[in-house]
Amino acid sequence: MSDSVIKEASKTVGVINTGAGNLYSLNGCLRRMGFYPVTINQPSDLERYDISALVIPGQGRFGTVMTNLKACALDEVITNWYRDNKKLVGICVGLQIMFEESEEDPGMAGLGLLQGKVTKLQSPKQPMVGWADVQSSEDWLNNQTLYFVNSYGVSDSDKSIATVTYGQTFVAAVASNNMIAFQCHPEKSGAAGEEVLKQCLS
Amino acid sequence: MEQGLKSRVIVCLDVAHGRVVKGVNFKGLQDMGDPVELAIRYQEQGADEIIFLDIKATLEQRANALEVVTRVAENLSIPFTVGGGLNTYADVAQFLNAGADKVALNSAAVKHPDLVDEIAKGFGSQCVVVAVDLNQEQDQKTQGSSEYEVYINGGHTLTDLNAMQWLTEIEQRGAGEILLTAMHRDGTGFGFDNELMSQVSKKLGIQVIASGGASKPAHFTDTFLAGSDAALAAGMFHRGEFTVGQVKQELLNNGVAVRIEKLKY
Repeated sequence: MSDSVIKEASKTVGVINTGAGNLYSLNGCLRRMGFYPVTINQPSDLERYDISALVIPGQGRFGTVMTNLKACALDEVITNWYRDNKKLVGICVGLQIMFEESEEDPGMAGLGLLQGKVTKLQSPKQPMVGWADVQSSEDWLNNQTLYFVNSYGVSDSDKSIATVTYGQTFVAAVASNNMIAFQCHPEKSGAAGEEVLKQCLS
Repeated sequence: MEQGLKSRVIVCLDVAHGRVVKGVNFKGLQDMGDPVELAIRYQEQGADEIIFLDIKATLEQRANALEVVTRVAENLSIPFTVGGGLNTYADVAQFLNAGADKVALNSAAVKHPDLVDEIAKGFGSQCVVVAVDLNQEQDQKTQGSSEYEVYINGGHTLTDLNAMQWLTEIEQRGAGEILLTAMHRDGTGFGFDNELMSQVSKKLGIQVIASGGASKPAHFTDTFLAGSDAALAAGMFHRGEFTVGQVKQELLNNGVAVRIEKLKY
């Protein structure tokens, strides 16, 4: 196998089908960044491709996404991927399901990879819709202006690497093992969003 | 203008038959170009969002309109809303599944208010924008300004709705944002109706997008200082009079927090 082929293969990114929204924006964003997105519908799909990273897209509510993931045994796929220290990126609800539970759908367990609970935001207007600067100790993330669309969030986490303030301060991004998850939507955040995603996937 | 969130500058494009069109003095439609190319041009200028309105998505043109939406979703890296001619839950589902981030409902929300609840439940409040066209007519007797009247069907049909009650009802039914057009300002170039925008923005717990009347960057400053969360314009950008970048520079100069798009090279 030539070097160029190996390089190509390492650019294949698996996008988890959460059954809760279209993937056009995310796939388009990944393609513009030079990645090859493939949709992961079931655990066996992982064997069909040489995937360098998994992405959990950001549409849908907590309970719907968890129900759909469990129905396809994709919850285990994500958990194992995380425990194996492989590259994992979560977006919006993809961050929220990393935690134990959510006020959005009480009684429904999240993946529980991180400790804590998703709560209703105490924001001036709901849902929070729009662009905000995130504060981070990571240079590549600090002061980036990113697009948020959410009514729920995580107010604090020991794995937080970035925060945002809209009425209250809450978690904008978490990192643990080789996983980074965002409350915002980098795929909808213009050039800044692509820069941020590239940092996680490269 | 809410602390923490940037004031959003939104560009509105009219789409028909898969092309961007613009009415010229109501006499006809002029082809302005490919929706994806124009949307990307405004994105590069720094637009925070694009709204495709009046998409003329009648059943005959449905496939065409959906194809445009998917192409936009694959190519645009900022949020976009699609509205005009969406009348049922199935219509909305089709456009969201084709890649739209949000849908804008206008006449359909007035005729079938439950549709707002159903879409909010099915897809989330964040993808429901309700567009409201208000007109303020001069009172002939007192020479003063009358109450705001709610119009539907592209501004052709007067309803008997009470404007403020309708706006409150939209929020209660689960809309995520209101696109508020002051018809009496639309096309005048006199600036947004900031008295209205301020009143509604303070009253509601959802975001208000000001629309109607903008012709220069200062109009955006005025409406954000009055309390609008976002503001929309079409003509001043399409005619090439101002760029989104110029509007944002003006806003920055006046202390309004906006997003500055990074240039990609």
